[in-house]
Amino acid sequence: MSRAAARGAFGVTLLVLAWELAARGLHLPAYTLPAFSDILLSVWDQRASLLRAGGVTLAEALAGYAIGSAIGIGLAVLLVVLPWTRRAIMPALLAINSVPVAAFSPLVLLWLGLGWSSKIVMVALAVGFTVFLSALAGFDRVDARTVGLLRSFGAGPFAILWRLRLPTALPLIAAGMRVATVRSLIVAIVTEMLGAYGGLGWIIYQAVVQIDFVQVWSAIFVASAISLAFFGLIGAAERRIVFWK
Amino acid sequence: MRQAGALLRLVLGLMAAAAVWEAAVLLFGIRPAYLPRLSTILAAIASTPGAYLDGFLRTLAETSIGFAAGALVGVANGVAFFRWPLLRDMLFPIFVVSQTIPVIAFGALVVLWFGNTLLAKAVIAFYLTFFPVTVNTLLGLQSVNPHQVALLRSFGATGRSLMLRLQLPTALPQIFVALRLGASLSLVGAIVGEWFGDTTGLGVLLLQAMYTENVVGLWAAILCAAVLGTGFYAAVAAAERHLVFWSAEQ
Repeated sequence: MSRAAARGAFGVTLLVLAWELAARGLHLPAYTLPAFSDILLSVWDQRASLLRAGGVTLAEALAGYAIGSAIGIGLAVLLVVLPWTRRAIMPALLAINSVPVAAFSPLVLLWLGLGWSSKIVMVALAVGFTVFLSALAGFDRVDARTVGLLRSFGAGPFAILWRLRLPTALPLIAAGMRVATVRSLIVAIVTEMLGAYGGLGWIIYQAVVQIDFVQVWSAIFVASAISLAFFGLIGAAERRIVFWK
Repeated sequence: MRQAGALLRLVLGLMAAAAVWEAAVLLFGIRPAYLPRLSTILAAIASTPGAYLDGFLRTLAETSIGFAAGALVGVANGVAFFRWPLLRDMLFPIFVVSQTIPVIAFGALVVLWFGNTLLAKAVIAFYLTFFPVTVNTLLGLQSVNPHQVALLRSFGATGRSLMLRLQLPTALPQIFVALRLGASLSLVGAIVGEWFGDTTGLGVLLLQAMYTENVVGLWAAILCAAVLGTGFYAAVAAAERHLVFWSAEQ
């Protein structure tokens, strides 16, 4: 374990200890801060329902993440390969992107109903824009002189895309996809809160309405754990694929 | 002169976009349940301008208070982490974990703690802003050329003057990247925070329109949110052009 990791673990341990001591020692009521151990116990007690809700949310987030990433990268490739589409589509894309993504949630819920499709669309929208903008920035980073050089050797637009633009853009695409992991779960949960039949966001909303604070914290705990795992997974994949960075 | 030209182009672009919107809805016969005509939406805003103006100002206040606090704390955090690596190693993992908490869940807690106040929404906006600013301040400070530091030190510069005259100015472009991101995020925080039952704000207008299935009202609120988001972002970008005047990336 590196020194930084040891210090980090120490910091987290200290925080958990301070939390537990403050909640127990000061007899803080649950609506201020429930004890850490109480939250863990509650997570364990309700593991079945939390696991089911987490599964629903994760499935929605993963589906939206895959669709959004594919559309984001595809759109960026299209705009780079056919420059005239950029002038045509870009203003509309920027206009959509100027709206805070959460503001679209009520509209999408009205259109698609309370089922999983509205969550997948919202996640795909949020992830798509994140990945699209970073992919476009990555493709634009390519040096024009290198493109000229490859072209002078007789490379067509697809060879340039495959051999030059994609490898150059990959670090930025990967960074965008890493940021999008956490965002995908957050957007899924936010949309679930406005209306759903299940999922962590729905549990959180129910718990807030019933003023069940330990339950809110339990759902937060599960959501954070899933986010961290997803983030770590994509981060590990990034280190393998973008090995030269 | 150049600014006047840019303004003219912007106005023309907006008018063209409005015309395309209006024409597309009419030509393709898009059902109003999906996308109403722009003129209908503007008429809806014009018929009750008070509600939209109040909501706009309320959300603007929440966003800007949270954003300002997040920017200040973020820069202070970044400087502290840069000065004291022990602090950085201990607190940074906690910060990272804190950012995986879904904003809505955090919002639920904040509203439970502070009630349905302006402060609660500002805290949520703050929470979304401070982390990117912290990270980018730290990255910017770490990118300072050690030779320049050594040179200034040889002239007798103290830690404080080194920070103010060399390190912070060097980090400023990086910090502004995070501030522009934070400008968008803080607005999301404010809007989502209003969903826990408030009476004024753009988030409230969105929610009310959803419950009454009023698509025109929904689009009107979305339009207001877009104007607020774009304006806030433009203000931060303008501050950047003013403060980071030497940056080539404009």
